[in-house]
Amino acid sequence: MPPLELLLQQALNGVMLGVMYALIAVGFTLFFGVLDVIHFSHGDIFMLGAFAGLSTLLGLAAVGLRAPVAALPLAFVAAILVTGLVGVLAERVCVKPLARSSPLMTLLATLSLGLVIRESVLIFYPRGADPKPFPQLLPQGGFEVGGVAIRYENLAILGIGLAAMVTVDLIIRRTRMGAAIRAVAQDPEAAQMMGVNLDRTVDATFFLGSGLAAVAGILSGLYYSEIHFIMGITGGVIGFSAAAIGGLGNVYGAIVGGLLFGVLQTTSAALIPRGSEFRDVVAFAVVMLFLIVRPRGILGEQSVERV
Amino acid sequence: MSAMTAPILETRRLTVRFGGLVALDGVDVAVGPGETLGVIGPNGSGKTTFFNALTGLYTPAAGEIVFGGRRVTGLEAHAIARLGIARTFQASRLCLALSVFDNILIGMHARRTTGLADSVVRRWRFRREMGAALERAAHLLALFSRELPGRGFEPVGQLPQIDRRRVEICRALAAGPTLLLLDEPSAGMNPEETAELMRDLQIVRAEMPGLSVIIIEHDMFVIEGVSGRVVAFNYGRKIAEGSFAAVAAHEEVRQAYLGTERARA
Repeated sequence: MPPLELLLQQALNGVMLGVMYALIAVGFTLFFGVLDVIHFSHGDIFMLGAFAGLSTLLGLAAVGLRAPVAALPLAFVAAILVTGLVGVLAERVCVKPLARSSPLMTLLATLSLGLVIRESVLIFYPRGADPKPFPQLLPQGGFEVGGVAIRYENLAILGIGLAAMVTVDLIIRRTRMGAAIRAVAQDPEAAQMMGVNLDRTVDATFFLGSGLAAVAGILSGLYYSEIHFIMGITGGVIGFSAAAIGGLGNVYGAIVGGLLFGVLQTTSAALIPRGSEFRDVVAFAVVMLFLIVRPRGILGEQSVERV
Repeated sequence: MSAMTAPILETRRLTVRFGGLVALDGVDVAVGPGETLGVIGPNGSGKTTFFNALTGLYTPAAGEIVFGGRRVTGLEAHAIARLGIARTFQASRLCLALSVFDNILIGMHARRTTGLADSVVRRWRFRREMGAALERAAHLLALFSRELPGRGFEPVGQLPQIDRRRVEICRALAAGPTLLLLDEPSAGMNPEETAELMRDLQIVRAEMPGLSVIIIEHDMFVIEGVSGRVVAFNYGRKIAEGSFAAVAAHEEVRQAYLGTERARA
């Protein structure tokens, strides 16, 4: 049995990873809730967000703007805009025209789009095949509480991730557009009879979900200090699994699922001998177990707050 | 339909097709301001299709719809809703898990003006708008029942059928429509509930004299009680029009009903 401090430390790391997973998972769950589609290029949109963020930071550094307080928010805004627009475009090209055909078609179309995004970054980004170092803009150093090291950098990642989630929650629960998103998720026809603009609501949903993936992408870059054009594959699979564990269509379920996945990964690394090599095996095994035992997810799709 | 003021809604040769099937075949219908028009016809005669075409859920293959002097054929459903056509569905389409008030607030969607910034920064604006909306919802509910406003925070799923129907009508009225479409409001109700529903519809009539209503009903008692004029559909065509007595006595209408109602009995 590893010491308690190590477990706590790993759990803390897991929460941080989990925040990133949750941000991706919320996108999956939003798209599923509103349009009943699984948007398989979402993982690559997460990767695109990281690259858009990196490009913005490099561009800003080139014109002399290196102060993190100014550069980071700009990078977030730019990356959210890029992924948001690509997300809306993805929906218009790969989802809406196939609305009346088999769900398998949407699945294929979005999978292919993911491939297109991935290969485009590989081909068109300068030296796209190499891992790209991501600037370390978060405050370094940290402190220790009861043998658990807490780094300022990690706190910042946690804080930004939580802020993004709270913002989404506010948008969904408190705004007119949020009400429209919830109404369309419940019953698209009845929602239109109430004056809800279906197309605009779907666009907003895809912008919102894809924007969140950009936040996750930049956070991932800041955390690992490196991004790579294939990061969207794992990111997508984990984000989708997290959404499925939580119950597809349920935003809070996706957040719980993401956090759970992150904590499972890191604690299994601590608990099992040579665990860090097996952390994905353990985490995905638990996902499979969950799907068998609770196929509707932890919170279930039909719960009150189905988006 | 003789000497009438300009109709609020008029359809001209309205036709809806599903592939080879003609679901609605050259239908001419007009409704005047403040009028209640009853629509009858056997199952599958095109009544609900007519509503779906009016509200923009189906795009007509031919013909046109003029609402409030404006051609609305081909407009998107939400745009038509915003122009002032509201409806209820045959099978209730309320969100059962949400509260009565929430359901009615959805009906006011098009009227809301506050955004994200208001819900965070200018919370007073958000609160004021929500407060006014709740007040309006309670006022609408109070039209039908004294207890209903007090149950506003309960989930709709806990209400009996008649109250759910009332909530649905309130949701439709919440948007402040000029034309209300009721698709078989008495569906699934027992005779006492149906009698209550009729009383409710008369209240709506009295409270909102300018509101035009089109009501689809199988219950002839309801149709006779609330509508001034009746049209009958069969196989997607309008086969009769006039007073309830005249339409009920119409040869083709009798045949259409005898043919199906007997077979079902």
